Amino acid sequence: MSKPDLSWRFGPIDPAAMRTLAEVLHDPNPIHLDARAVKAAGLGDRVINQGPANLAYVFNMLEHAGLEAVSLEARFTGNVRSGDDVEALGALEGESCRFTLITGEGLTAITGSATVRRAP
Amino acid sequence: MPEAPPFATPYALPGGRYCISAAENAAVCAAVGARPREDGRAHPIFYYLATQNGMGITVGGLFDLCRFAPADGPLMVSTKVNFHAPILVDEDYAVHGEIIGLTRKPSKTFGAVDLFEFALRLERTAGGVVSECVNAWVLPRKAA
Repeated sequence: MSKPDLSWRFGPIDPAAMRTLAEVLHDPNPIHLDARAVKAAGLGDRVINQGPANLAYVFNMLEHAGLEAVSLEARFTGNVRSGDDVEALGALEGESCRFTLITGEGLTAITGSATVRRAP
Repeated sequence: MPEAPPFATPYALPGGRYCISAAENAAVCAAVGARPREDGRAHPIFYYLATQNGMGITVGGLFDLCRFAPADGPLMVSTKVNFHAPILVDEDYAVHGEIIGLTRKPSKTFGAVDLFEFALRLERTAGGVVSECVNAWVLPRKAA
């Protein structure tokens, strides 16, 4: 994304937030809860944030700009981990917003696009 | 390598009801760095959370249907959503959905994967679709 119009930052990602999401989603996947499980799966040594939480940051970016999504498509391209900082970036063109979510280490966790409108 | 899915698609999910409490919305907002709205709207990510919780089957149950072991590392790859109305707290919703695809594909990383797609709709109990989404997972088939 060459020149973002929107930006929203969050972090560092707290493992306690992952436990909240795991409870809401009834998701017992240990990669969100136990660093030993992450290591055993060969996925590093920090617990991995839930994909819906990552997408929630994109919705936050839109809301902070006074926008809401009418429709949205997202691809999950990388993991956000405990301790990461993240930044959601958006480029507006009319009613279309192309967005990414990147970590402080420069990893792209989400790419996508949304049709947006001014929030009430 | 092509393997017939263990069910015909579309495969209707049981569905169910779901109500987002104000406390649950506040907990999710706190977890993702948002402030709960004061106008009764839930965080929009509830299009995903509420439909998954109300679809009448657990994610583990979905994987069982696909004859997939979660230990093999499912990957959430994409989601699409259309919003037709705001998602509200303290509102009873009906959830309907179906599995729309389980398609075997070759994979350089895993040898073979299944692209698993399911559609979910959040509806007012009095009628009217609030949101409709399609979620996709990749299920590595390491033994295929």
